Amino acid sequence: MRETATVNRDEIKNVTVLTDRLQGLKREWENAEPQVYVDDTLLFTESWKETEGLPVDIRWAKALEKRLLECPLLIRDGELIVGSLTKFIRGNGTLCAMKPREIMKMVESGKFDRKTSDISSTRIDPEDLWALKADAAYWIEHMPKVSSVNAAVEFEMGSDVFDLLFDRGMVFEGRGVRYEMDRGLFQNYSAYGGGVAQVSVKCVEKGLNHVIDLCHRERERMMAEGDPNSHGTAQFLRKYWLLKACVISCEAFIKYAKRHADLAREMAEKETRPARKAELLRIAEACERVPGEPPRDFFEAVQCVRLYHLICWKESSDRPEVPVGRLDQLLYPYYKADKEAGKITAQDAAELLGALWLKIRECENLVTIPREQRAAPGSLLPNITLCGVDAEGNDLTNEISWLVLEAMAQIKLSEPAIYVRYHPDMDPAFLHHALECNREFGGGNPAFLNDQLGTKRYLDRGVPLEDAVNWNASGCLGYHLDCMEHMGGGHNISQLKVLELALNDGFDPRTQKQLGPHTGDPRTFTDFRQVMDAYYKQLEYLIPIMHKFKMISWATEIAEGPMSGLRVAMQYEDCIPAGLASREGGARYPEGRACWFGSRGLVDLADSMTAIKKLVFDEKKTTMGELLDACAKNWEGCEDLHRLCLNSPKYGNDDDYADEIYDEMSTRVPEIMQSQIDPLTGKKPMLFIGAAAGHVGIGKAIGAMPNGRNAGDPTCDAACSVMPGMDTNGPTAAINSATNQCYSKEYAGFAMNMKFSKSLLNTPEKIEKLGWLVKAFNKRDGWHIQFNIHSRDELLDAQAHPENHKNLLVRVGGYSAYFIDLPPGLQAEIVNRTMHEII
Amino acid sequence: MNKAEEGMVFNIQRYSIDDGPGIRTTVFLKGCPLRCPWCSNPESQNPDPEISYRYTSCKKCGACVEVCPHGAPTLTEDGISIDRARCAVCGACVRVCLAEALKISGESMTIDKVFKLIRKDAVYYETSGGGVTCSGGEILSQPEFVASLFRRCKEEGIHTCADTSGFGSPEALDKVLAHTDLVYFDLKLMDAERHRELIGAPLDLVLQNLRTVAARGIPAVLRVPLIPTHNDSDENLNAIADTARELVPDATVHILPYHKYGANKYAAVGLRYTLDDLAENTPENLARARGIFESRGLKCEVSQ
Repeated sequence: MRETATVNRDEIKNVTVLTDRLQGLKREWENAEPQVYVDDTLLFTESWKETEGLPVDIRWAKALEKRLLECPLLIRDGELIVGSLTKFIRGNGTLCAMKPREIMKMVESGKFDRKTSDISSTRIDPEDLWALKADAAYWIEHMPKVSSVNAAVEFEMGSDVFDLLFDRGMVFEGRGVRYEMDRGLFQNYSAYGGGVAQVSVKCVEKGLNHVIDLCHRERERMMAEGDPNSHGTAQFLRKYWLLKACVISCEAFIKYAKRHADLAREMAEKETRPARKAELLRIAEACERVPGEPPRDFFEAVQCVRLYHLICWKESSDRPEVPVGRLDQLLYPYYKADKEAGKITAQDAAELLGALWLKIRECENLVTIPREQRAAPGSLLPNITLCGVDAEGNDLTNEISWLVLEAMAQIKLSEPAIYVRYHPDMDPAFLHHALECNREFGGGNPAFLNDQLGTKRYLDRGVPLEDAVNWNASGCLGYHLDCMEHMGGGHNISQLKVLELALNDGFDPRTQKQLGPHTGDPRTFTDFRQVMDAYYKQLEYLIPIMHKFKMISWATEIAEGPMSGLRVAMQYEDCIPAGLASREGGARYPEGRACWFGSRGLVDLADSMTAIKKLVFDEKKTTMGELLDACAKNWEGCEDLHRLCLNSPKYGNDDDYADEIYDEMSTRVPEIMQSQIDPLTGKKPMLFIGAAAGHVGIGKAIGAMPNGRNAGDPTCDAACSVMPGMDTNGPTAAINSATNQCYSKEYAGFAMNMKFSKSLLNTPEKIEKLGWLVKAFNKRDGWHIQFNIHSRDELLDAQAHPENHKNLLVRVGGYSAYFIDLPPGLQAEIVNRTMHEII
Repeated sequence: MNKAEEGMVFNIQRYSIDDGPGIRTTVFLKGCPLRCPWCSNPESQNPDPEISYRYTSCKKCGACVEVCPHGAPTLTEDGISIDRARCAVCGACVRVCLAEALKISGESMTIDKVFKLIRKDAVYYETSGGGVTCSGGEILSQPEFVASLFRRCKEEGIHTCADTSGFGSPEALDKVLAHTDLVYFDLKLMDAERHRELIGAPLDLVLQNLRTVAARGIPAVLRVPLIPTHNDSDENLNAIADTARELVPDATVHILPYHKYGANKYAAVGLRYTLDDLAENTPENLARARGIFESRGLKCEVSQ
């Protein structure tokens, strides 16, 4: 084994991330009023008009080019790392072409919401408002009159299928499963953004000029030799254009950086303060160099990461979700070299990381759908992943891993979220540091992922070890191989809603429609297995519908969507020869491209079944009829029965009675969901079990359930967290329940949220005690564990007096968010999540 | 009842992190010969099962009154009142109490049953250097059970900690110590007269047992509950410290600050709490006590 990188802990513990400079920049941003930014959408529209008739790949690339070459630039005084999303200190970008009707609605209501908050809405200059309205109107006029996704689905499956969707019966849920979807230029906003464009380590290391060169050569080769990879004329031509689009995008990106170099030089010329002048010239030098050529030092590497993140963001603008990736691995070689050459100290690096942090957090966008319906309210999901082991088993923790956590803890911004790939050989001092930073941060950051399990899942899918170890966190609770696969958001099925159908012979009491098959009137059931079987039958009926629905809608989106040249660049080794973007199958490991197939509400489902088994069939304390009547009345007048249901055994207490049912369902449900191949990949569909915040939305559509849940309450937040208030045997029991069943299948999600009071972490000894739980969780093959550490009183007070708790951060699913920015339902749910007090 | 096979248990607390090193499972035994007025587990005193009643949960529905075959509970304005002399602890009332205000405190559990629970957290003991603690009540009142439980633990490599008041027969102590890795030993009062008067037991037996622990060379932690006006005088603390230095100079002293978390539980089992008016320790008082032990070169921690 290689010697682990030595870490100078004292030097790191003493760094000041928030230097006066960064404090000033942070304050300036916090105090700046959010503003709607329109230049990019206007440039996009202008470009689209100019490129009429050209292939869609070229049009998309040219639009990006126009935005990058003509958008206003901003370098703020004091900034070391540059590249701003908008010309405002705090601007929210958008593209009307993607959702013109929703934007028009905002324009007409005068209320502009932001992705991260609607406590304070976003202001807009009157002139911009007028321009935005005209832009939205243009796109409404030029949209196709019908949604081709809906038309295709209806043609193939009939219109009844729409009753199952999010805005109707809500059996299916998630992105792309709404009937009422604003039809933008590409039908559906999941079409181009759904899935992750991430900072590409390989591109950073090689420089984009290298990628451009590869594209040119491949095009020349195609013409000189023909191309065996392309099957058929259409695909040959498609590849030819896609590579051109890649070149246009990369060149525009490089020019965008050089525009910053020009601006910095110009500012330097006028600058009278010698120190600032020198900084500006250094910025100019860096932006002249990257991303076209590889960075020469740590400073240029950080600047390069910033620009990659920004460009991926701009390009996707509506659903950016751009993970930063394995930042410690990317930056460490540059840091090490600089340090050895005596060019940099940990303090210098800390300030640069802090500067990067502020720039990443600055990216905000205008979101037009109601907050309750968003998958991850309050989040922008620029995840950073740290640590892990390499193919030889070496621990990859390094000084940058330490510094990144320090930056997170000191800056205290809701994002980026940090994921630590924990493994048993990790330096205990680092785990301690991570938990200490978690306390300083105050919001359940970082989360710990099981390093070995993540890698094993890829090995099981046949990915060779050297690639399998290279995964990182993405989206709200997902993960993916670093620039080697496409990962998109999912279609989910609401398990508790399916149970509601099973308990009503396929009938949905809310929409008053027969949504599922007739599986028998449960009032006539004489055996518990009949209830389980009715459930499985409902699921077996619905899953193939969901498969087909997903195949048609997803593939229609992809077939019509813009095929990003930039994304080809990010995965250039594979996408250039394939002549396909990653989500079309151009990625090295294409099976993830059809997105996760998700399941929500497993804990509630299992607890409900447990209550039925115990109260109706084992102890005969009630009858199916009585129980269903009570549910239908939302327990009104049935308080005794409600109490019995709440008191029946619950998952999360290491209670065999409840866990046996959970274990059966958490095995059988995925089996049914994976019983068919995913037609788009020919492989078993990838499963996503859990929910970051979607549980609030789906909960609204579900009536009272036998686990004692009230109608409309959120379902349990993650696949293996415990029903709020129901884990009474303490954290080891909760972890045991959560780790009984097999995790090593190819699932994502399965996050374990635990909340401890602040007093838990006030001494090093207590931090060590929390560390034991991480170790044991990992040892029991748990996948994802995270800790919130607020007192209940603090949260209650924040609900009542949000004005006093603007900085209160909580970890929701895969991310931390400002508590006061969360929807009330989600707030209440967090308050109710069990407090593990250690007395 | 086979004493080595079955024990009277009133609680098994998992993820216990203050009763010995690491993550532990603490088995609380029921029955204690002492009657310390500050006791925070009054339900641990009676060696037999008893009905415990939590009035804050009671909905005054009267179901228990109706169902009781012995006429023990009666409905009052504040909830119910239980005639403990009539109660046969049959559990009929517990089964009908939907509000969960009533429960039976104390269960005769077999070694197998207890051990099954203990085993569930083996991985936590392993990763944290934890194990099993037997506490009470007084564990020396059920020495056969503790000894065989600990033997079972040792067979599986699980660390054992005996938490005792030190009041029990030397034979009982011998049995337990044979399988014990660490002893938590209480010292409360060094004045023999006061000891008998306040706690209801002779001091010399306690000290003799402490000598036995020291002679066996088993690591020990001395636990000193610091109860204002009862045992916190300089004189008493000096005497405890001198004894500690003489008998177990390597032991760590844990000062347990007085608290009232257990006060509510007295009424639940039909007892009366007598220290309602007693104030908690001031930080100065805790520091003073700590200083007394440290001045004699003893390691000392104040539990928090």
